[in-house]
Amino acid sequence: ASETLRVMGQPVATGLIQKNIEQPFFENFAEETGLEGFIADYQPVDVTGIKDTEQLRILKSGLFDIVSLRLSQVSRDEPTILGLDLVGLNPDYETGRKTVEAFAPVVDARLQETFNTKLLGVWPFGPQVLFCEPEIASLADLKGLKVRVYDQNLAEFVSLLGGTPVPIGFPEVQQSLARGVVDCAITGPSSANSAGWPEVSSFTMPIAFQLAMNGYGINLDTWNNLSTDQQEKLQAGFDTLSERVWTYSEELFIDAVNCNTGSEPCETGTKYDLVLVEPTAADKQLVGTAVPNVSFPAWKEVCDATNQGCSDAWMETVGADKNM
Amino acid sequence: MGILDVLIGFSIMMGLLLSGLPVASVMVAMGVAGGMILYGPVLLTSMGPVLWGTSNEPVLTAIPLFILLGELLLRSGLADRMYATLALWLGRLPGGLLHTNIGCCALFAATSGSSVATAATVGTVALPTLMERKYRASRALGSLAAGGTLGILIPPSVNLLVYGSLASVSVGQLFIAGVIPGILLTLLFMAFIAAQDILSPGGAFQDADVPWSVKLNALKNLVPAATVFLIVMGSIYLGIATPTESAALAVIVALGFVWFEGKLSLAFLDICFRKTARTTGMILLIIVAAFTLNVTLALGGITGVMSAWVNGLGLSAVELLFTLMIFYLVLGMFMDVLSMQVLTIPIVVPIIVAAGIDPIWFGIFVVLMCEVGMITPPVGMNLYVVQGVRNDKGPFTDVIAGAVPYTGLMLLFTSALIFWPGIATWLPEALGR
Amino acid sequence: MDILGKWVSRIFGVSMLFLSGFVALETVMRKLFNTSLQGADELAGYTLAFGASLAFIVAMIDRAHIRIDVLHARFPVWLQAAIDWLSVISLGVLGLFFLYVGWFVISDTLAYGSTAATPWRTPLIWPQSAWYAGLAIFALCSFVMVVRASRLFFSGRHDQLAQEFNPVSAEEELSEELDQLKER
Ligand code: NA
Ligand code: NA
Repeated sequence: ASETLRVMGQPVATGLIQKNIEQPFFENFAEETGLEGFIADYQPVDVTGIKDTEQLRILKSGLFDIVSLRLSQVSRDEPTILGLDLVGLNPDYETGRKTVEAFAPVVDARLQETFNTKLLGVWPFGPQVLFCEPEIASLADLKGLKVRVYDQNLAEFVSLLGGTPVPIGFPEVQQSLARGVVDCAITGPSSANSAGWPEVSSFTMPIAFQLAMNGYGINLDTWNNLSTDQQEKLQAGFDTLSERVWTYSEELFIDAVNCNTGSEPCETGTKYDLVLVEPTAADKQLVGTAVPNVSFPAWKEVCDATNQGCSDAWMETVGADKNM
Repeated sequence: MGILDVLIGFSIMMGLLLSGLPVASVMVAMGVAGGMILYGPVLLTSMGPVLWGTSNEPVLTAIPLFILLGELLLRSGLADRMYATLALWLGRLPGGLLHTNIGCCALFAATSGSSVATAATVGTVALPTLMERKYRASRALGSLAAGGTLGILIPPSVNLLVYGSLASVSVGQLFIAGVIPGILLTLLFMAFIAAQDILSPGGAFQDADVPWSVKLNALKNLVPAATVFLIVMGSIYLGIATPTESAALAVIVALGFVWFEGKLSLAFLDICFRKTARTTGMILLIIVAAFTLNVTLALGGITGVMSAWVNGLGLSAVELLFTLMIFYLVLGMFMDVLSMQVLTIPIVVPIIVAAGIDPIWFGIFVVLMCEVGMITPPVGMNLYVVQGVRNDKGPFTDVIAGAVPYTGLMLLFTSALIFWPGIATWLPEALGR
Repeated sequence: MDILGKWVSRIFGVSMLFLSGFVALETVMRKLFNTSLQGADELAGYTLAFGASLAFIVAMIDRAHIRIDVLHARFPVWLQAAIDWLSVISLGVLGLFFLYVGWFVISDTLAYGSTAATPWRTPLIWPQSAWYAGLAIFALCSFVMVVRASRLFFSGRHDQLAQEFNPVSAEEELSEELDQLKER
């Protein structure tokens, strides 16, 4: 007998990870997981007309069995999730993997408890980096500039640097850069490339403010209806998928930065000629200071308010080696 | 789920709509019924987040703000003086005051998204003068009905906002894309009026020549409309503001004009608020209903089924667009344009995107076809409005006859847009790069 | 009902003016002084949600919810009345539906203590309560109208029903415009 799982995927608009890794995985669900007779009815979130901020609620209700969770967006309902990706916490992929290893179990436990959801895997969309039209040589130059941000932690960090954070939805950013509504904007280099940001900016600094974590969640009822053998296969399938995304995400990042700055090899995007501003040691240190100075204290307050012991759990796992 | 099921569902829905039940109720009922069949009661718990998500959407906030803007300017008596001024300037062109109708509608269009109130106001001011000067009734009425439709093409436009939210494309880009087609269509209407008058004179009196000093002095009446348009479009062009922000700026400035006119009173605001609330409620309920129906359409894979079906027809992009043109022409005869938009956009946009057509460009195409729908019988809002304004008790066929050539012009213009997409895409691209 | 419409419109209008003022100030300050008040977008979203639920009420009182009346106007009076009656009922059911599915949103927000991921960290229950209250009034009004329409329908006063609950026609809307034009 065939069983159909309803799957809500990443938005089509986000680009290559969705197109080349996620969608093919679900289209060949049975082969990929070894779950014979299983089919995934895959619908990207933007096609469904449901807002990504509502994903946890939708998953809990059971309308979908598996959801590719946009962790930053759904943190509205469960701030614990943000502990995976505080601003400045994961300057590179290596650190990101360690953070996920340490903190994903905490998030999983919380999601099972309150959202009837099991976390199957966490992966990064990729480093969120800086694009500017005015010349910048270091992060200190953000002082006095208007910077498009996509969430609150980042907004506070930009304020700390002396810039003005401007929250704008992704589709309006290209135009806003073109007309000077904002001077700088932060996103992944690959999304920036496909949205044409390099056409309207001149400088880019590939320093990771965040890794833009996403994850797969499965409705617990669906999960519990599977046999132990099936559960193992499914988990193994998602482990493979997440690992595949981690690798691809990093390749994509290097390639996209090359494309944006006119270097080789550039295979995944349009070639542009942005000036590459290499982050200095001081810049990296500055981003790192965001954790104790801005993102952790702010997050601690919000998170502990709804999930007691949330920040303690973080300190015991991720924060253990952070000298905080 | 095959094409047949989709057609059955669609026929049931059309039947319910044509019987005269509220469009929003029918759409929600179809969405819920379809969803329950496909998914069961779990769908209901998920509709809540959809309802909140659609209501709490900052981009859509521009809709009530632009409606309020139009109401403030309209009810402060701006249109009356604007007409008189334009009459001084355009009245001596071949075709006379008919140009003033088009010009006044176009100017008003630049400050408001509502075409009913615009056509009604300009019509009321214009018709007595037009009749007195023995303009042929069909020509006068046709120019008013057609001129009124410019309101939704020339930004700000509620219909472009609705398109942008349903098709998830930038409303700012859509507004910018609407400017050149709006101006060209206005000029095309004027050229047609001149040609019509030269080939078969309409028999109207010529206006007396007016001294330049009077003409120049009258220009001050155009200041409020020009200011508001410059604020709205300027702030979007120059990147000072998003559409919602530009609407807010314009509302504050318009409030200033009303105050300056000495019209700012509780009674005045009450009328504006009431009209704005009514129109907003009407539009947003339909949009919320459309998003509810959308969830079912998407989850049921109906959008995919339709796309695949159209793909299977093997049409080229141009053939597809001309097919859609006929489809919208027919639909527009029987449906009001907002219902037409919300019912078709979620299904049609994925199809045209798959065919490699720019969704921003397509927004202008859809709005042009909506304009056509406003002046084609039997259901053509602007035809009713203009017929209602006249006080000579002439036949309704006058209005229809007068509007027919404009329908032809708009279809011609839409065809031109298909062959030269740059008409709509050039400006946003030139500004974006 | 008309008084209610007037006051609901007032609250709606004042919210929109307040929002315009706030957003305009935010925009000007951002451009001229490079500082941001933050949260204009967020406020715009909440105002729309609240305003929309109020606007539904006004549109219902003023019979402005869109209906396609091309055939309707040509039906015999009893059929028109029956459809008008069903239309009122359908809006009542719609109001109930909104209340029912909206409740899931409210109860989830309460359960999770959801807070907007924005500079204001607005507890979502505030704007959602205002929104839900608007929906509740919408449902309540529609029940009152259902009662009125049912009474007319079952006592056979079909003319009266058709007159009171017909969709507002272009002529009616126009005559209203003309009245207001005379006052200017
Ligand atoms: Na307009
Ligand atoms: Na029509």
